[in-house]
Amino acid sequence: MSIKIDILGVGISAPGIPDWNGLRAVLDGEPLSSEHELPQTSLLSPRERRRAPATVRLSFAAAEQACAMAEISPDRPAAVFSSAMGDAELADYMCRTLAECSQPLSPTRFHNSVHNAAAGYWSIGTGAFADVTAVSGWNDSAVAGLIEASTRAATGSGPVLLVVYDDYGQGPLTRVWPVRQPFSAALLISAPSTKNHSLAHLALRASNARNQHPDLPAALLERMADNPAARLLPLLALLAGTGPAAITMAAECGSGLHIEKIRA
Amino acid sequence: MTVTCAAGAGLDAIRRSLYAQASGLRANDFADCNLSTWIGRVDGVERVPIAPSMRDYECRNNRLALLGLEQDGFAARVASVRKRFGAERVACVLGTSTAGIEQSEQAYRQPEHSNRFGSRLAHNPHTSTRFVAETLGLAGPVMTISTACSSSAKVFASAARLIDAGLADAAVVGGVDSLCLSVLHGFNSLELVSQQPCRPFDRDRNGLNLGEAAGFAVLESDPSNSIGRLLGWGETSDAWHMAAPHPEGRGAISAMQTALASAGLEPAEVDHINCHGTATPMNDRIEAGALRHVFGTPPPAVSTKAWTGHTLGAAGIVESVFSLLAITDQRIPASLNCVEPERDWSDFILRQARPASVRIVLSNSFGFGGSNCSLLFGAP
Repeated sequence: MSIKIDILGVGISAPGIPDWNGLRAVLDGEPLSSEHELPQTSLLSPRERRRAPATVRLSFAAAEQACAMAEISPDRPAAVFSSAMGDAELADYMCRTLAECSQPLSPTRFHNSVHNAAAGYWSIGTGAFADVTAVSGWNDSAVAGLIEASTRAATGSGPVLLVVYDDYGQGPLTRVWPVRQPFSAALLISAPSTKNHSLAHLALRASNARNQHPDLPAALLERMADNPAARLLPLLALLAGTGPAAITMAAECGSGLHIEKIRA
Repeated sequence: MTVTCAAGAGLDAIRRSLYAQASGLRANDFADCNLSTWIGRVDGVERVPIAPSMRDYECRNNRLALLGLEQDGFAARVASVRKRFGAERVACVLGTSTAGIEQSEQAYRQPEHSNRFGSRLAHNPHTSTRFVAETLGLAGPVMTISTACSSSAKVFASAARLIDAGLADAAVVGGVDSLCLSVLHGFNSLELVSQQPCRPFDRDRNGLNLGEAAGFAVLESDPSNSIGRLLGWGETSDAWHMAAPHPEGRGAISAMQTALASAGLEPAEVDHINCHGTATPMNDRIEAGALRHVFGTPPPAVSTKAWTGHTLGAAGIVESVFSLLAITDQRIPASLNCVEPERDWSDFILRQARPASVRIVLSNSFGFGGSNCSLLFGAP
């Protein structure tokens, strides 16, 4: 039994990859730079932008691109924010502040430390009353997010935004979170419909097979090894390619997905 | 199903506490924490041994998870489900908010002992889901929901979708959240913590008590020995504030209405409500208003947090199990510590336990980030 979904929009933001066209250029052989200019979101008020943690800016950059490409207002879709670690910077802040006992925790930084902070700010910023959820699968966060978003799209009534993101580590916490390059990517997913202008039509089924995908440029493989969110790259390459193709996104723990691109 | 929380390890111990009106809360005695408050700590978590093969998962959250799996024959029950469907067809979907951060808190306090940092498998939101999936030998989709205090309510919806979509035939759902300095001091910084035992819906309530718990259930379609049925659910966002609920309870109202619509039920068909009921002045007032809006005259409603403390990412599973116990036992517990209910708006809060015909129960869980989840459970 497979799940069938349409991909209506894509977004990506990472060092050297400012957007979808940037990724296509790298896939076509352009060199990958380390420059990362994160755009400022227009969805939050200046006050909220000051209060929001760094994961908001990182995840929103990809999410807004995917909504724009799909021509879907950001407040409409249900949304799934998937991240291996959540906010490593705030985890470092809290552990450090608690260890030093020198000052009380900042209430704002504490409530921003929840794993669903980016999801919460997305609901606040877009005015979305639909469900905006937050998941994690550690190294399997890309495929876990895709499973949650595609089962929602297949069993629900509307489009679903998937945002997969993880930021770099800092402080002593780099011992458990050594990620060096931030990465975020987003997909706008819907149940199949002839009315959709879809980028691709996919069939997904659970699979416990190993990772399988065509060769990617070495620089992108490095990103996949560095940051769990970048493990979405084989799927993005599948979407960028022409013609039918199939990949397997394996999970380290539990089942992953076999993904077949049936048509563009 | 099973739950381990301050009110007891396993259903028999919890039933004894419920019947004896015995709260599991105690004056704060959490290690290295001098806050004046009450907590719902689970006895003996520190001493639960992690098997050598699972050393990389060493942290308080996973010790608590293991203690929880050992109760009520739960692991054996899952083994039979695994045998029936095959490991690859059984998913594992758990909720948490704290996960293994306590391990890193300890490491930062002893910088000379950098080896006190857990492995990369300990401090991350997914640690306990992976630990439980590996312990139980599950090989279907493995996923963590971490939406603060609605986390382990939402696992029921996510797992039901996995089964509906054909990615699994059954799922272990639940949640694990453990006490740590981050949440004790963090909620204190937000001025949401009470110095006394919490008093949900009471006129003099003045904040919550933090707690810890591990709870699990097996979800499958059309089981032969069902304890209860998941009739419907509603998941919504407030689009309002990171730490404060919408003032008119807009997201809470739509979560309950969505749950009722998805179950095809009228409000009058609900027999009992297990509220989010944290005992903060604002949560209880807004939730009671939302209940009035949806139900008019709500059925007997309780908060069970004065038994357990607010177990955050585990609150959803704890209160789902309490809801199912009300159906199994045909008995509604009292809303403990609600001595003087708010006269104008909390008169429907049940202050005395009573036998009752309970066929349909609503359980509410609301979290930071404006994340709301209402679940409807029914008799099998």
